[in-house]
Amino acid sequence: MVETGSISIFLAFIISIYVLAASIYGAKTRKWDFVKSAENGAIAVLFLLVIATIALVYSLINLDFSLKYVALNTSTDLAMIYRFTSLWAGQAGSLLLWCLVLSVYTAIVVLQSRNKDRQLMPYVLATLATVSIFFIGIITFVESPFEKLPFTPQEGRGLNPILQNAYMAIHPLTLYFGYVGVTVPFAFGMGALLSGKLGDEWIRYSRKWALFAWTFLSIGLLLGARWAYLELGWGGYWAWDPVENAAFMPWLAATAFIHSVMIQEKKGMLKKWNMSLIIITFFLSIFGTFITRSGIISSVHSFAQSDIGPLFLGFIAFILLFSFAMFLYRMNDLETENKFDSILSRESAFIFNNLLFLGAAFAVFLGTIFPILSEAVTGNKILVGPPYFNRVNVPIALVLIFLMGVGPLISWRKASFKNLVKNFLYPILLGIITVIVLLALGIKDTVALISFALCAFVTGTVFTEFFRGTRVRIKRGENFLLAFMRLVSRNKRRYGGYIVHIGIVLIVIGVTASSVFVTEKQSTLARGESMELRNYSLRFDGLKQYTTDAKNATIANLTLFEGGKEIDIISPEKNIYKYEGNREINQETEVALRSTYKDDLYIILSSFNEDGSATIRVMINPLVNWIWAGGTVLLLGAIVTMWPSGRKSRQEAFVRYTVSDHDAPVKAS
Amino acid sequence: MLKGKLKFIIAISVIALTVSYLVYGGVKDTMVYYLTVEELKAQVPTVYDSRVRVSGTVVPGTIIKDTDGSIVFQITDGAQMVDVAYEGIIPDIFADDVEAVVEGVYAKNNVFEADILLAKCPTKYESTDSLYENKETSY
Repeated sequence: MVETGSISIFLAFIISIYVLAASIYGAKTRKWDFVKSAENGAIAVLFLLVIATIALVYSLINLDFSLKYVALNTSTDLAMIYRFTSLWAGQAGSLLLWCLVLSVYTAIVVLQSRNKDRQLMPYVLATLATVSIFFIGIITFVESPFEKLPFTPQEGRGLNPILQNAYMAIHPLTLYFGYVGVTVPFAFGMGALLSGKLGDEWIRYSRKWALFAWTFLSIGLLLGARWAYLELGWGGYWAWDPVENAAFMPWLAATAFIHSVMIQEKKGMLKKWNMSLIIITFFLSIFGTFITRSGIISSVHSFAQSDIGPLFLGFIAFILLFSFAMFLYRMNDLETENKFDSILSRESAFIFNNLLFLGAAFAVFLGTIFPILSEAVTGNKILVGPPYFNRVNVPIALVLIFLMGVGPLISWRKASFKNLVKNFLYPILLGIITVIVLLALGIKDTVALISFALCAFVTGTVFTEFFRGTRVRIKRGENFLLAFMRLVSRNKRRYGGYIVHIGIVLIVIGVTASSVFVTEKQSTLARGESMELRNYSLRFDGLKQYTTDAKNATIANLTLFEGGKEIDIISPEKNIYKYEGNREINQETEVALRSTYKDDLYIILSSFNEDGSATIRVMINPLVNWIWAGGTVLLLGAIVTMWPSGRKSRQEAFVRYTVSDHDAPVKAS
Repeated sequence: MLKGKLKFIIAISVIALTVSYLVYGGVKDTMVYYLTVEELKAQVPTVYDSRVRVSGTVVPGTIIKDTDGSIVFQITDGAQMVDVAYEGIIPDIFADDVEAVVEGVYAKNNVFEADILLAKCPTKYESTDSLYENKETSY
């Protein structure tokens, strides 16, 4: 199996080089047979990488400890499911997965666009092949997952216990789908630059792929946050850790991109901007992989460290230089077709949205690399921590939420005062009422008040849109449900987008509440003693110990009372994993979480003492569940947006407004 | 037309300046020096009462846990040692010989009062050292 694997990745490397050469040669000389054979080559790469992946999975499941990767990431006591997920627990396996996902995407691109856009596609394929060559090259020559050990150990080192969690099993996978997904719209952008076909084709393909990648990045970020919340045991879900920022930065840039492409589609504007944005997004995605994989910026959960750093830096430099050189070369062909008319228009709302997203991405980037930067400039290593990121990003986020309400309703080109009143009067009133109600409830935190008011405002605008659209259809004689369903299904992009916005609103509400209104308490309790927190009371009923094949666990038994009434039994754990000789990390604190839509009770067994007493830390985090619920809504909206349309011809036809059509309706496409 | 353009330039400038100001203010007010034990000791009179981050290896046998959940321990760079007092959540991998990162204030009584404690694995994550310990038992 091992030889099969290493031969497969070597062949995949060679064929990728062929794909690059054949597609460019074929396109330049118009010998389409070469392009065709390059396309077949891309499919062959996919097959080879599937074989390599199967070979590695087979070795992992059968615990072939003669392989370094298997010996480092598994052990005989590891459950079957985690033997499989070890595929992406370590460096080499993750990189193999990167290559596999990219080859799947490449194959889809090839199959979807066979015999279409003949000028553009060979260059798209060439770009994808270049990225493949780099990553497959790394796993073939530098970090091979099929590297053998000089001897066969009897026992592997085992998987880090905090990685043995259902969220950790799928979170990296989701994130990879997103990271790698960014490569495809970038390839279309580069294809357009290289071929000179700078029309609508690349934007149309890119938009769909960017949305796809964005959805996976969003879900990946949320799953990662949930994993950190459940597993790291400090009561939060986001710490502005470099590895988290690594995924957050491409998300910010991708969010800007999926908004600004709409302006190019509808109005033929922002062409240069979009091209730069997709280059930046791809750069941030590779940079993110680099941070996570190289361990250059020390992080609490940097799971891999190795010497592939310089290679990555070289590749990043090449991408940036080459892309921007091509960009400058084609600059004159990226002329805008329309002008900005008024600052009070949907176009400008999008511009401000983009500037702010990019501003946030820049601030996060700067904060993440600050230790390296300051050491290079001043010789001192200086860190900026969570306070920096919060101070910069919270105001930006608040303005962005405001724009999220404004953007969808304000008129194109120039909004009149009448238009503004008609669209925004009720949502603004809703925001004001929210502030009054919250003040009456005794909430005084300014940031929280502004955030909740803006969330109410956005919700108001979205419901206005749904209400108006549905009402028009009801007047035509449809019943409410049918009218609503048709409204959404006839205009998936628009209404799907609104659903995504509602998901974001839920997330913002959850994040605001859980960061502003946390209550925390730590007490050491003897058996029978209780601790009080807000309306809750926890009684410590003693410690219990048990042993399984894998671990020795200590449980604290606690009874929870709310308002004097017994409501639940809670048992946080502290586990010591066995096989100490093989593991570097053998302790794990298992948090007990009691989660409702009102608040989360987050209970940690900090330590226990010989006399049977235990130190318990309790946090009340309000509305955390809203974040995960918002994620589900976001996913739902994204699916609606991407759902293939039955009526192709209609979706493909763009309505592009030019300066001449004066009273263009607000609704488009 | 020019008036419209000017409005855009002003609006964009305002956004750019605001973001830059936020970045500047954020860095200025929240930056923390990252020091080694040696650097901390070298800056002794001036470093008191300012917030810094220090990393070092936990000296074996110096971790003392109190029943209220607070701990004291020492970190070292191999030559010098620093006393650390910490109260809060203790990372699972925190133990003798791990590399600890603490953030807080170095008090005048030469005890580092930390409110952030991070721990890193003693060896590189992908190290094969531990596998060699088992070598004798194989075949």
